[in-house]
Amino acid sequence: MKLLLLILKNIRRNLLRSTLTSLGVLVLVFVVTLIWSVLWFLDLVTAERSRNFKGIVSERWRMPSQMPFSYATTLEEGAAREPGDVRPEDSMTWQFFGGSFEPDPRKRTRDNTIFGIALEPAKLGTMMDELDQLPADKAAPLLEAIAGLEGRPNGIIMGRTQLQRTGKQIGDRFTLYGLNYRDINLEFEVVGTFPEGRYDNTVAFHRHYLLAALDAYQQARKRPHPLADKTLNLVWLKVPDRAAFDRLGAQITSSPLYASPAVKFETASSGIATFLEAYRDLLWGMRWLLAPAILATLALVISNAISISVRERRTEMAVLKVLGFRPAQILLLVLGEAVLLGGLSGLVSSSATYILINHAFGGLKFPIAFFPAFFIPEAAIWWGLAVGAGTALAGSLVPAWNTRSVRVADVFAKVA
Amino acid sequence: MDTVDGYIVRVRRVHRFFRRGSERVDVLNDLTLDVPHGEFLGLMGPSGSGKTTLLNLIAGLDQPSAGEVWVGQELVSAMSESQLARWRTRHVGFVFQFYHLLPVLTAFENVELPLLLLPLSAKQRRQQVLNALDLVGLNERVRHRPGQLSGGEQQRVGIARAIVTDPLLIVADEPTGDLDARSAAEILDILGELRRALDKTILMVTHDPHAAERADRVLHLEKGRLVEQPGGAG
Amino acid sequence: MYVSSVLLWMLLAALAASALLVWLGRIPIQYNLRNLVVRWKTTLLTALAFTAVIALLTVMMAFVNGMYQLTATSGQPGNLIILSDGVTDEVFSNIAFADAGDIEIDERIVREDGQPLCSHETYLVVNQPILHPQPGRPLRRFLQIRGVDNPEISARVHGLELLPGGAWFGTGVRDLPQAGGDASPPQSAIEVVLGEGIARELGRDRDRQQLASARHPQRLDVGDTFELNARQWLVVGVMNSAGSTFDSEVWGKRALLGPMFGKETYTSLVLRTADAAAAREAKRYFSEDFQKAAVQPLVETEYFASLNDTNRQFLVGVVFVTIVMAVGGVFGVMNTMFAAISQRIRDIGVLRLLGYQRWRILISFVLESLFLALLGGAVGALLGGLCDGVTANSVVSAGPGGGKFVVLRMVVGADTLALGLLLSLAMGFLGGLIPALSAMRLKPLDALR
Repeated sequence: MKLLLLILKNIRRNLLRSTLTSLGVLVLVFVVTLIWSVLWFLDLVTAERSRNFKGIVSERWRMPSQMPFSYATTLEEGAAREPGDVRPEDSMTWQFFGGSFEPDPRKRTRDNTIFGIALEPAKLGTMMDELDQLPADKAAPLLEAIAGLEGRPNGIIMGRTQLQRTGKQIGDRFTLYGLNYRDINLEFEVVGTFPEGRYDNTVAFHRHYLLAALDAYQQARKRPHPLADKTLNLVWLKVPDRAAFDRLGAQITSSPLYASPAVKFETASSGIATFLEAYRDLLWGMRWLLAPAILATLALVISNAISISVRERRTEMAVLKVLGFRPAQILLLVLGEAVLLGGLSGLVSSSATYILINHAFGGLKFPIAFFPAFFIPEAAIWWGLAVGAGTALAGSLVPAWNTRSVRVADVFAKVA
Repeated sequence: MDTVDGYIVRVRRVHRFFRRGSERVDVLNDLTLDVPHGEFLGLMGPSGSGKTTLLNLIAGLDQPSAGEVWVGQELVSAMSESQLARWRTRHVGFVFQFYHLLPVLTAFENVELPLLLLPLSAKQRRQQVLNALDLVGLNERVRHRPGQLSGGEQQRVGIARAIVTDPLLIVADEPTGDLDARSAAEILDILGELRRALDKTILMVTHDPHAAERADRVLHLEKGRLVEQPGGAG
Repeated sequence: MYVSSVLLWMLLAALAASALLVWLGRIPIQYNLRNLVVRWKTTLLTALAFTAVIALLTVMMAFVNGMYQLTATSGQPGNLIILSDGVTDEVFSNIAFADAGDIEIDERIVREDGQPLCSHETYLVVNQPILHPQPGRPLRRFLQIRGVDNPEISARVHGLELLPGGAWFGTGVRDLPQAGGDASPPQSAIEVVLGEGIARELGRDRDRQQLASARHPQRLDVGDTFELNARQWLVVGVMNSAGSTFDSEVWGKRALLGPMFGKETYTSLVLRTADAAAAREAKRYFSEDFQKAAVQPLVETEYFASLNDTNRQFLVGVVFVTIVMAVGGVFGVMNTMFAAISQRIRDIGVLRLLGYQRWRILISFVLESLFLALLGGAVGALLGGLCDGVTANSVVSAGPGGGKFVVLRMVVGADTLALGLLLSLAMGFLGGLIPALSAMRLKPLDALR
């Protein structure tokens, strides 16, 4: 305890230096937290799970997948045809619809365009990551929005960022003029929004609405829409374990129902990993160049400050030795000073980053694949403590070790 | 010659006090002093008597709380800080107890420092520095740094620096305080020689009676007031 | 958008200003430099922090520069891309075969030997299983395939040439020699030409035996094969395409590849006009006057410029990270300079006493900080500069729903190095200014006590 008090006093003795060091740690831990949060999330979504995960059915060769909707019925059953065949625990179909608020094609821009997903409303609450595990207070508004979708054929749920970007709010009506579905224009009414976070950029509506529009097109023009048999983009299947996944995969890929186009069945994490492959050099750079360089800079900043501090206090350390402090105790004093300063600063930084990024900025917007934003995980709060303390320890080892070389005779000879 | 009636320093009814919290500490009280040109004046007194304060006022490092300080024909006590800085470069040379040389510069470079503020060419500066070092007997050590010189040699560099601009006045604050007897005697010899050969006026604060003996006149300060005492060989 | 050469001038101006300050300050510069040497450990630690920040900045800017260069050099000024109306990316475009005839008769299109320089293209992204995936790496990759009707014309339109030893495909199919000799039935392979980047990527799929007998160990070369869609694909040429988005593409006969992957339309027509002005005029025509089909014309250079959207976001990210790291570095150098000043208070007192004004003291310590910064920053810029020419994967896109996977070459130009040095100087200046201001406020007598 007394050692701790001494450490605190030492930190206070040169408040300017301690503040500058602390500020340096604060900003550098901030950046490291951001970088590791992005990498942590990408590692999470690409990590192969062994239980309770989802697989994706998509075209075997072409991207984006454009399968006929007739595939959906049997795929939702896992292409089960023999007794004993495995069926998925749950399923979800996705059809991508891109539309613009602007009827004149020449005036269409990114800003007046949105991409939405046509699906079964109930699946939003059972098949979407994180939405299937919401606490009661956040689940209630979502359930209400889902009920809105089911109750209104032209209902649409928009994430908060999309609402903000398009200037819409719940209750508004608008028309989307089809981009990928040429000549299919859909009128929507906003019935709800997603909980703040991962789905801020997501837009979803009832798949029946799109299918009905395609039917109406055929009736009106006496021919099917060019995308009529290419409307199904992805099918998600929930499986309990690896064995079930492998069985389902075999059932699907061996089924004669999916010949043209052929399909493949892969885990969601594998599918995402393929998309991320294009970013592999960028992510490698972030993981093995950027983050280590920042950690090294952190260690250097602290090492510099502690070295200066030790050099200025050689006489004081000689006095401590005269009073009976052992070299190891003096070493611990110096290390303790660094670790306390670095650890506390790191903890404050990562906590502030968590609050700032997640709640003030609505996530870190960094363009990697189809992820609109990244969030700081709760665990990151402890990263700051660990990084700050760890780099402080590494940076202060040498200056702290050098205190052992302080010789009482030399120091007092100079002073005399 | 930059004197008035033969006096190079005239101090008129100078007061200097300092504030320590709410307390006022009077260091110099109604002090009047004249120093003729070419005099070697010693200032002695117990600690806190005000001798260093008086030296600082004359050298333009401090301003009196009241009164006037004239050096040559300049009213030093009325100058602004930037005027004093310029004036000091040309008119005052300083010699300190602890030499106060810049440790990373050589003897040559230390002596050259004041000349860098004057409009001289590199050749002119070099000549003046070498002359000054020659006067103090250090022309063999021009490239050495203070850490490579003895205490006496460092003080000689300090003296060379003090005279290199050919100032009106040399002020020395305990110039032998950190030296052994032999080195101290050498330094005092140099100061005496400067006075004789270059007609310099020297003001020296000292606790050392041997140093005081070298002065033409020794003044004692006690509680901020002057008491005169006859000097030594001079 | 590159970082402009204004930076070079700014750097020169900053260095000239520093030299002027040395002269103005009058305090010998060796005073500062030797003090840096005397306190070499602190100098080293502080300089290394600068080295880390500037090296990182240089590498990150090299990556962004590479992306900008890629999009800048991928387009021909006189080319006009025709996509179907309203699409955000080539991959979603559908142009009927019949419409191509109506489009390419336009008189603004350059002709050679009576044939319009019009490239008929079907762009596809295909999922390819990787035969020998490395541990922890994905099991599949996305291949960017471009089916063209006439490869020579398409190459002429895009300004592409083949590396020596290659040839363009003819019918698009070739029989492969069989191991069993003439008795075994021939196996046919799809003829393709690869961009150099994708040739390197596919080359990594080879096993040790194949590598041992490979003509070119770093990449696939003429005569090599790979598997896709249960067919063998034969490399008949490799494009000299480094620095363009075509570097990551596989080119083959459209008539084969389109039906193979279910795309029965063109995705784009690329028309060569006389020059940029003619391309803009043709764009106006196809936007406003052409009625035979609903198309979206884009001047090719503008199209590739629009792919800079990702680049801009990366650049924002780079700027953000750099600024934050620089702020951290500034606090570090501030610590160093405060300590330096506190150790040299007596020196400051002597200088003030000798007549050196406050502002000269300020200049001296700011210069010391600048030298420290320049030392660390120069080493950092040199280290970061080693990544020049290194290839890296990335994606360029104009927004959501689409994008091209590209192989870029990182570019470290003189202006990138200048940016690094300027940032270093700025950090040094900011980090040294406040301590120097505190130094100049010291009174001579107080400093000497």
